[in-house]
Amino acid sequence: MPTPFRVSTAGPGGPVLLTLIYDTLTWKDEHGIIPWLAKKWATSEDGRDYTFALAPNVRWQDGQPLTPDDVAFSFDYYGRHPYRWTDTTMVESTTVLDTDQIRLRLRQPYASFLEDVAGIVPIVPKRVWSNVADPSTYGGADASVGSGPFKLAEYRPAEGAYRLTANPGYFHGSPTTRQYEQLNVPAATSVQAVQQGQLDLSWGTDASVNELFKGDSRIKVLATPPLSVVRLAVNTKRAPLDNKVTRQAIMYALDRTRLAQVITKGLPVVGSAGVIPPETPWYDPRVRSYSFDAEKARALLRGKQYAIELLADPANREPELLQPMLQAVGITLAVKRVDSATRTQLLREGNFQLGLVQHIGIGGDPDFLRRWYSGTEANDYAQGSIFSNAQFGQLAREQAVTLDEAKRKQLVYQLQAILADELPTITLYYRRFYWTYDSTKYTPMNTWGGLIDGAPLVQNKLSFLRR
Amino acid sequence: MARLIGRYLALAVAVVLLNFLLPRLLPGDPLAAAAPDGISPATSTLTVQARVQLRAYYHLDQPLFGQLLSYLNDLAHGNLGWSISQAAPARDLVGERLPWTLGLLVTALIVSSVAGSLLGLLAAWRGGQLDQTVLTLSSGLAAMPEFLTAIALLLGFAVALRWFPLHGGQTVFASDPGRNPDWPHALVDVAWHLTLPALTLVLATSAAFVLVARGAVRSVLTETYLTTARAKGLSETQVASRHAAPNALLPVMTLFGLRLGQVLGGAIVVERVFAVPGLGLLAYQSIAARDYPVLQAVFLLGSLGVPTVNFGLELAYRRLERRVG
Repeated sequence: MPTPFRVSTAGPGGPVLLTLIYDTLTWKDEHGIIPWLAKKWATSEDGRDYTFALAPNVRWQDGQPLTPDDVAFSFDYYGRHPYRWTDTTMVESTTVLDTDQIRLRLRQPYASFLEDVAGIVPIVPKRVWSNVADPSTYGGADASVGSGPFKLAEYRPAEGAYRLTANPGYFHGSPTTRQYEQLNVPAATSVQAVQQGQLDLSWGTDASVNELFKGDSRIKVLATPPLSVVRLAVNTKRAPLDNKVTRQAIMYALDRTRLAQVITKGLPVVGSAGVIPPETPWYDPRVRSYSFDAEKARALLRGKQYAIELLADPANREPELLQPMLQAVGITLAVKRVDSATRTQLLREGNFQLGLVQHIGIGGDPDFLRRWYSGTEANDYAQGSIFSNAQFGQLAREQAVTLDEAKRKQLVYQLQAILADELPTITLYYRRFYWTYDSTKYTPMNTWGGLIDGAPLVQNKLSFLRR
Repeated sequence: MARLIGRYLALAVAVVLLNFLLPRLLPGDPLAAAAPDGISPATSTLTVQARVQLRAYYHLDQPLFGQLLSYLNDLAHGNLGWSISQAAPARDLVGERLPWTLGLLVTALIVSSVAGSLLGLLAAWRGGQLDQTVLTLSSGLAAMPEFLTAIALLLGFAVALRWFPLHGGQTVFASDPGRNPDWPHALVDVAWHLTLPALTLVLATSAAFVLVARGAVRSVLTETYLTTARAKGLSETQVASRHAAPNALLPVMTLFGLRLGQVLGGAIVVERVFAVPGLGLLAYQSIAARDYPVLQAVFLLGSLGVPTVNFGLELAYRRLERRVG
């Protein structure tokens, strides 16, 4: 039962599904933030008040009109029952101004509010949820009523499969896709399933699908920007990695181009030392780069020998490639393989030296850099982010409340510069998601800064609508 | 009798305690586990505020003993708890998966026990070249890891030949308008989907039945009562089926019972390779997600299966012994 309170906590499959059933105040297309439930908005001088004017004639899927009361209720309700994928605690109060206007007052200005909050939090019908005391168990017939382009027709919990049907009364017009089914399919055979016509869309991180379907008239491949990162989380509190020179030496010692090439089988996208990936809105192209130079690494280490332990998942292939590269400069890498839940815990407890992690969520609003490294909360947002740097903390807090985009960009560039010099995480390489699809059925699309919050997912609701 | 009941009660308590403890002994946190097989998003994980709330909701903020008390209290009320990763009652999740595992594993078990025993019987009875061939083949099959058989079948019959589907237990949403809604079609659809997984299990388990049946029959080949039966003018088939086969029945039955007891544990490897939505796959997913309530429910079912089947087996033995004796 996908409701904003009851979808699986694991992975972005749930939140994406919610974007098809529910709507948000703002949305994103290929180029940036666009009006959605809110047809326009204004920000007060102090940056704390957002006044949204709602689009006319928006209806819930049961035919009732969507009103500012629903919007106000949603934010109030999320205050008591937190939305699992984005923080809404910065919203101090909600005021309905008019039959089509609402004002949200924030505790303090929040630069990524339009993208990360207004663009992510699903608006829910007050009528349904105002009577529900425990939304995590509520599964009434009206629990999945949204205002989005698709309605939930069927949910098969055993298979984890969802069937959505087009909402003909959608305020942006009826979707061109009549039916959307989301199925759980083993990754190993999902490309074959598209080839055989059993699926219309599937994803992977292996670039060899490009070669496989080159010149195919029916099956095409859409590559996303490099929004998935593979990196080493570094425990900067433990010797010898507490010394930034050691971290820099490791960066020089690694032939990350080869690493990316071997594993993704495509054109490598080498990790930016400033974490934010190229081809995304906030990337600083002039950030310090570390090209492979074993000689330089040895010089930095001054002939010292080290033994370092790396935490990795059993299926990771990177450790075998990293070992000889580090050995060549005098670092012996001991690899400890644990399953991902165990690794997460060890990273969270700070019980590690290096941890190999891979994840998405780095291509959207750059405020994630603040959340990663903001002290006690940091490890909940980003595994193993241990880094205390006063200047970084100061700049990170400043960018979060800076509404002037050009000014904010400079601050975010400075954050990248500090990360690139200090290296609290060693970004190995980025991965694109390769979406294999049947072009006679559907055409997926890339979203500015990634779908939702930097996710390389291509089922933007706009791709199902006539535009 | 009282002692027997006491022993079973002690066993039940031990099982429940172990089921509670084992998942919690695993390192890892149900609220931080990454998506199995999937993408582990950094920013799409729970917000701090949501995490605190969920921790309290699932009693994860209590000490272990407190958690045990809430678990026992829930269990006493027939409540298996709520899944943490899937936000649904654990009972429902297990209930939906149970028919798949039962259907797949029991079918495979019946086919492999019948086919395996017959083959073992035939091999022992005929001896010679046939016996050698059957022995070699079944030893070879028994040595083959299940996942290898599964992948070979998948590559051969689903990817290359396209005779069977690549994944799943049925065509999901087959009952949509415009597709075949009636049950004979649905049954054929399920059978079509489960052929390769079932075949994998049959190949993996029938070897044991071949060897057991063959051994049992061989041990009586020189018995005088078989000579007597032949002297009475019975045909070879009659001698084999009426006098030799019943001896094989007891060990085959034992093996069958042992395997049946394990059915409720699901078939993790096969269910995972073919994405059959059974209990094995649920257990796998729940371990990856550290989903304690679901793990407890799956383990409870799996561990109760063994004593239940043992009891049934005990009754069956008594009947058989009377007949054989």
